[in-house]
Amino acid sequence: MTARERTYLGVPVSKPRAAFFEFTSCEGCQLQLLNNEATLLDFLSLLTIVNFREAMTEASDEYDIAFVEGSITRDDEAKQLKAIRGRAKTLVAVGSCACFGGVNQLKNRFNDLAWVKEQVYGSHAIDTREAVPLSAIVPVDLSIYGCPIKKEEVERVVTNLVLGKSIDYPRYPVCMECKANHNVCLFDLGEPCLGPVTRAGCDSWCPSNRFGCWGCRGPAEAANVRQLRQIMHEHGFSDEQLLDRLECFGGFADYVTELKRAAKE
Amino acid sequence: MHRLPFVDVLAEQQDSSRKQDLASFEYTFQAEITNVYPLTATEKLYQLQIIDPGERQRFSFQPGQFVMLELPGIGEAPFSISSSPIRHGDIELCIRGVGNLTNFLARAPRGTIVGISGPFGTSFPVEKMQGHDIMLIAGGLGLVPLRAPIFAVLENRSRYGNIDIIYGARNPAELLFTYQYDMWRQFDIDLSIIVDSADADWQGPVGRITTILEQRIAAASNIGKNTYAIVCGPPVMFKFVCDMLIKARLPMQQIFVSLERRMHCGRGKCCRCNIGSTYTCLEGPVFDYWSVMNLKEAI
Amino acid sequence: MLFRVFAKDHLINLYDILAVNHIVGPLCKGLDRQGAPLYDFDFIYDFAELQLDYTATIHSLKRFVLPPRETLCTFDLQKDGWRKQVDFNAYKPTVYFGLHACDINALNKLDKVLTGNVYPDPYYAAKRKNMFIIGVGCTPQPFCFCKSMGTDSVLHGFDLFLTDLGDAYFAEIHSARAFAFINSLECREPRQSEHQRFVEVAQERKSRFTCQVDTTDLTKILDLEFQAEVWRDWGRKCLSCGTCANVCPTCYCYGIEENVDLGLQHAGKTRHLYSCNLIDFAQVAGGHNFRPESHDRLKYRYYHKHRGFVEAFEESLCVGCGRCGQSCLASITVPEVIASVRGEGGDHA
Repeated sequence: MTARERTYLGVPVSKPRAAFFEFTSCEGCQLQLLNNEATLLDFLSLLTIVNFREAMTEASDEYDIAFVEGSITRDDEAKQLKAIRGRAKTLVAVGSCACFGGVNQLKNRFNDLAWVKEQVYGSHAIDTREAVPLSAIVPVDLSIYGCPIKKEEVERVVTNLVLGKSIDYPRYPVCMECKANHNVCLFDLGEPCLGPVTRAGCDSWCPSNRFGCWGCRGPAEAANVRQLRQIMHEHGFSDEQLLDRLECFGGFADYVTELKRAAKE
Repeated sequence: MHRLPFVDVLAEQQDSSRKQDLASFEYTFQAEITNVYPLTATEKLYQLQIIDPGERQRFSFQPGQFVMLELPGIGEAPFSISSSPIRHGDIELCIRGVGNLTNFLARAPRGTIVGISGPFGTSFPVEKMQGHDIMLIAGGLGLVPLRAPIFAVLENRSRYGNIDIIYGARNPAELLFTYQYDMWRQFDIDLSIIVDSADADWQGPVGRITTILEQRIAAASNIGKNTYAIVCGPPVMFKFVCDMLIKARLPMQQIFVSLERRMHCGRGKCCRCNIGSTYTCLEGPVFDYWSVMNLKEAI
Repeated sequence: MLFRVFAKDHLINLYDILAVNHIVGPLCKGLDRQGAPLYDFDFIYDFAELQLDYTATIHSLKRFVLPPRETLCTFDLQKDGWRKQVDFNAYKPTVYFGLHACDINALNKLDKVLTGNVYPDPYYAAKRKNMFIIGVGCTPQPFCFCKSMGTDSVLHGFDLFLTDLGDAYFAEIHSARAFAFINSLECREPRQSEHQRFVEVAQERKSRFTCQVDTTDLTKILDLEFQAEVWRDWGRKCLSCGTCANVCPTCYCYGIEENVDLGLQHAGKTRHLYSCNLIDFAQVAGGHNFRPESHDRLKYRYYHKHRGFVEAFEESLCVGCGRCGQSCLASITVPEVIASVRGEGGDHA
């Protein structure tokens, strides 16, 4: 690369130093980043990558943007996250675990964590506590939703970051994209779906493959969960079935509390 | 053979004007940013020149109309033209950096090529106002769409009666076009400026725009018959100013306002600026107050 | 208009004649929970797939003329500027085989705003002008209120319209192209008895519409009831998901998005159909939202369709196909909303 600065329409384009980190997660989101070979080189040329365990061995502690995957389930993770926050100008939560706690936070449903630890790890005691999203420990600047994330969305986010464009997520529910893909509504086919309340942006990935939405991207703005509950009932699904889905990725935590209260009444 | 013939909409035999309409829908003019002047901390004045000399000369607009400005890949948005109509395709846009497009534009150097389409929308009927007094009342950024009618009136100053410009801003640092006030005053224009909160250097009045308006209304003679009002500003100001003008018996059809809405096309298609039944981009942005009364949620 | 009659088993000949072109028509996409067929428009590759006795399709024809996402143009960034390439995305004429009157009327309504207005939309026009439309008589469904909207029959906007007389098709011919195609079939001019049969079939069909909307003075009533509490009741149910606008054959609202490619050498401008029910529909740069509440947005949808469009074009922007109500998971239907705004009907909240 020459030292000459890249520009777009005459405006200098930054080439931020980026680092990738993972906490409690499957690292699937980072793999997604490496997935599309067709655009990988262009993608990498927008950033100076200084730390990416999935892809390289060298590492540096100087970076502008930190992409962080995974939820926080141990004290040492929290400590490390705080250190990352201290170094990064922009901290991006990548994937449902980082944004909401993800599948990991399902363990929080158990009242007795000590019992869970024993069942899972037996005599190999592991230091683990309730799974929480990054935002419970440090301020988060940007969130990339999804389980896993969509490569296209990350590419758009990174392009916009270097151009200085704001990052705009769809605020409407998945239904909008599902209808645009002219799918038959899964409720009509007898399957439950969180599409009507979940934030779009996935291009109705699951519903297009005839798999009802589980809400991995969290709630859409103005999500009408109260109405969805009624719709679930009308279609023969129980509150438990609705709660199973709403609780799966942790994005609907506030709604779940309200719903549980309502279900008791 | 029963293959249906392919119809090329541009090549199809239609009357030529229509064909041009179709072509001009997407084919915007390219224009160059020739100069940029910072006006305040957030607003800049952009001088743009349509590159093609023929198009530049043909480009004509009425005061109050707007153009869509596009930066490829960044975005497109409507901006009212704040230059004099006699300058054709050498236009000036005053733009505040609030969104993607405007913030990027604020970083764009001189010489950047942008896309311009338009002019679109309705205008202030400055010719109809000839022979009358005019009150131009602006709050904050509301001065931007008023600058073109001010120029238009100044260029034919003798044809108009008393001209009052009443302009209010939050504080002196947010005042726009300060360098032009003296020039405007030379044309026998009564320019009053008021700010919500003063700074150390401010010598003028402090308070609400309605205080000045009250004085002006009291001073005006036979306001209902002789005066036209042009109002632009934030919704709260609209409401108070228009209420006051109506109370002073200024007929609704002599009050003109310029409304802001989100627009994606500027061509009466996308519906984003639609207020119930009215496209702000086709039937506006300039409305008389009677039309505004009939627009639910307008101000 | 010219009329011809041909035997029903000749329809496949008409299909074969046209099959050299792309053909879009109604086909069965699956069965719903009750085992009833779900129909939709799609490309047809075999005459046997074509379900001309379909009830109603889930989605309208809109995606073929106004795709949910469409690249309007691309930009090549160069050292000293940029070049713009425009593509109207229309390459081949397409035969639309088996449209109901409501859907043809819907296209006619879209024409008014997209091609008949001050700034015609060439993307739409290019696709619209490459359509060959064959209409068929429908079977009224319990949710169809096209009769109230005056769209249960269609006068123009098609090439050919077929009515099933039992053993033969009665064809209304509306274009020279259609006339040529029909004449290559074994057909003849209708007899007096067939004229009568045609009128009878139309009347019998008309008598089977059960769903109604009272449109008397509706524009005024919408103004009068602007602050009515019922809007809030419907707003509480609304999911703000945009499903109604997506399945609607006449909703055309859109948004424009521009994106730069990863290589920073190219950019594109995309139009994506939007819905006035989506939360940020009326949000302006700087963040102010003119319609933050769900009932406001829902109300504006009705305002645009049943008041604004009527004022502009003397007709409503609704053809009464009932798709929005059928697709709405919250069961918000046009007949019920309008009845409630008129102060009729029971409790909806």
